[in-house]
Amino acid sequence: MKRRLPWWLGGILMALLLLFTFSIFGGNRPLGASTYVPYFAGVLFNMDPKDYVYLQHVKNPGAWEGVMLLGALFGGFLTALFVTKSFRFSVMPTAWKAYKNGSVVSRLVWSFVAGFFLIIGARLAGGCTSGHFLSGMSQTAFSSMIFGGVVLISLIVTGKFFYKGEQ
Amino acid sequence: MGLFDRMMDMFTIVANEGHGSVAVVFLIGILFGGIIQYTRVDKFEKIAGFAMLKDTTVPKMLFLAIGIAAIGLFFEVKLGYASYHIKPMILSGLIVGGILFGASMAILGKCPGTGPISIAEGRIDVLVGAIGGILGAYVFTKYYDSFFEPLMGKSYGKETLLNTMGNDASWSVFVFGIVLILIAIIIPNRELLDEADLSQLSEEERAELESNRRFEIIT
Repeated sequence: MKRRLPWWLGGILMALLLLFTFSIFGGNRPLGASTYVPYFAGVLFNMDPKDYVYLQHVKNPGAWEGVMLLGALFGGFLTALFVTKSFRFSVMPTAWKAYKNGSVVSRLVWSFVAGFFLIIGARLAGGCTSGHFLSGMSQTAFSSMIFGGVVLISLIVTGKFFYKGEQ
Repeated sequence: MGLFDRMMDMFTIVANEGHGSVAVVFLIGILFGGIIQYTRVDKFEKIAGFAMLKDTTVPKMLFLAIGIAAIGLFFEVKLGYASYHIKPMILSGLIVGGILFGASMAILGKCPGTGPISIAEGRIDVLVGAIGGILGAYVFTKYYDSFFEPLMGKSYGKETLLNTMGNDASWSVFVFGIVLILIAIIIPNRELLDEADLSQLSEEERAELESNRRFEIIT
């Protein structure tokens, strides 16, 4: 069995999943994957929604994405275990070692910092790769096109200056 | 409410919300996780590799999916099987958020959708990133009224091609969709592969790969 799908088949399947999620037979809403983070932060830090207006905003979409995320973890885990056979514990991505450095501490510190600002950024913009790129641009929303353009530029500029070009 | 009750509350909200049953939402998640894992776009080499312009799997897949979905969704809505849910143009939020998001995505090599799939395949560094993310969400929630909401600025409405193009609205959606599909096809197909990818190939496939210049192999 092939251990991975080509980009075009992945793109077609992702489009079909988006259309199912949008439809009244699925979720009758867009697909999103960053509103669950403040929802879980509220649960884990035991924050009372009465005291935090943002938790009231994310109550329903956060719960929806929370359930979806549990499914995604489950689906990702099963696929990694049985289909792509990619499951193994690791701390250092191969390309980080090749294009950045060999330090585990550096990788973990940068992961933490980037994770922190990744979510701040997504929440400021009101969406992420799923909510803005996939769902927003499929609806031809200008907000998502602006976000998409800014993210692409920021991603490539960071890629150019943060990593070494050669191994 | 304790932690357990609040987790149970999550299922109750979804069950009562009318956006698909808990089982359907969970199934959407399984498919989402399965597609991302099966195409390997959760890999650091795919996303950070795109930032370094060494791997184009992510933009090709993303633009193709958006192009097809834009056209498909137009018909779904026309037939009454779906509706549009547009995010507002909060200009400074989109720009400041986009800059932070893009830079963080290049460094972490994940986004909020692909990150959890990576954790599910055993990536501890991404788990550390997720802890950072939860803390970021905590700070955002805590200082939303005093700092982040003012920073996001005012909304310039929920405009789309469909509601600004007048009589040409329908055509503009088709042109948009087709242009995105063409972009997905035209972007040169490059890949950054590591030993884990190569170990799953046969000798011949591997030899063929190593002589093909659209692949860069990390040694």
